[in-house]
Amino acid sequence: MSGRLPGADADTSRLFEALRPDLLRFAHWLARDRSIAEDIVQEALLRAWRSREALKDAGAARAWLLTIVRREHARMYERKRLELVPLDEVAETHAGAKYAEPEGELFALRHAIMKLPLEYREPLVLQVLGGFSTEEIARELDLSPSAVLTRLFRARNKLRVLCGMAAAPDVSGNEELP
Amino acid sequence: MNCATARLLIGAAPASAGGQLEQHLAECAECARFRQEMQALDGDIHRALQSPPQLAARPRRAPPLLWRPLALAASVLLAMTLVGVWLLRPTDTLARELVTHVQAEPGSWLSHEQLNGAGITQALRGAGVGFDVTSDQITYAHSCWFRGHYVPHLVLQTDKGPVTVILLRHEQVRAPQSFREDGMQGVIVPAEHGSIALLSQHDGGLEQLAQRMREDVRWLPEAR
Repeated sequence: MSGRLPGADADTSRLFEALRPDLLRFAHWLARDRSIAEDIVQEALLRAWRSREALKDAGAARAWLLTIVRREHARMYERKRLELVPLDEVAETHAGAKYAEPEGELFALRHAIMKLPLEYREPLVLQVLGGFSTEEIARELDLSPSAVLTRLFRARNKLRVLCGMAAAPDVSGNEELP
Repeated sequence: MNCATARLLIGAAPASAGGQLEQHLAECAECARFRQEMQALDGDIHRALQSPPQLAARPRRAPPLLWRPLALAASVLLAMTLVGVWLLRPTDTLARELVTHVQAEPGSWLSHEQLNGAGITQALRGAGVGFDVTSDQITYAHSCWFRGHYVPHLVLQTDKGPVTVILLRHEQVRAPQSFREDGMQGVIVPAEHGSIALLSQHDGGLEQLAQRMREDVRWLPEAR
């Protein structure tokens, strides 16, 4: 690799490895399947490695890699039309859980997030896990900032309902969702 | 700012703030309460997202109870060994990175779950490697990110204890190298394509096992 300092590749490799758990968590929320998420991250890291010279600032690596993971998921989603994960399995694997307990509440919330349609789940995960701003999400998803605000509002409103809270009046207008 | 706009902003980003929003909240108790609710919900969302549910994870077989005290003993032995043995710095960066990698996966040597062929194939997938060792010797098989490539990381159970085998298609060594580091010893031997690294915590036997690995590993023509 011309122009790269000695040891730069080793540093980049370590950086990628350190960020891998974050990427896997992010991919898991998008794909809703651990093994698919692992495939996505593996492919994304290979792509990222091939393009590593584009990464000028190690501090930007996390957002850069998350973006690559998201695009890899989108590619895989389009290519294979990912099979829906039977969400009822969650209840089966967590049979007997006491939802009144804190961990039970979190479990219910995880379940509720998983049940969100991708168009709501994706911006929410980008925002909360990825730390992306509304404008950054809009660029990434090719939406207007107002459409992103709408989706985020509706995502949280759905979670309110799924968690047993009263729905907030939908003040998000009439954005047409795909 | 009216209530509709305030609630849209709050619902979309409960942590959002701004002069106009704050001014509205100072004057509207209902919207202020809505933000409190949404911020509390957002805290839960953040915590929930830290750990995805294991929706599709393959259920892991619990190790037989018999192994648990042995696993504990192995942990104690590992700790005592790490404290007690001498330190010899490796002369090679590759060796040091291999040791660091194995230390980062301490559970790999404690696994006693026999893997089936599919699990081993999964770990080798994409690395362009075939492997003929009988699967009942392999108790750990993962595909790990190492020096810019996914490499198969296996643990074989031997008479002397577990041995880590890492197949390094992209790392060349001219001649067999031995090293000691942090209570581990290892060898890196040249292979048909790249090299093979073996690490263990017991003395002896690695060279012979390395020779066997060189014969058993099949380097496929196309690596991804």
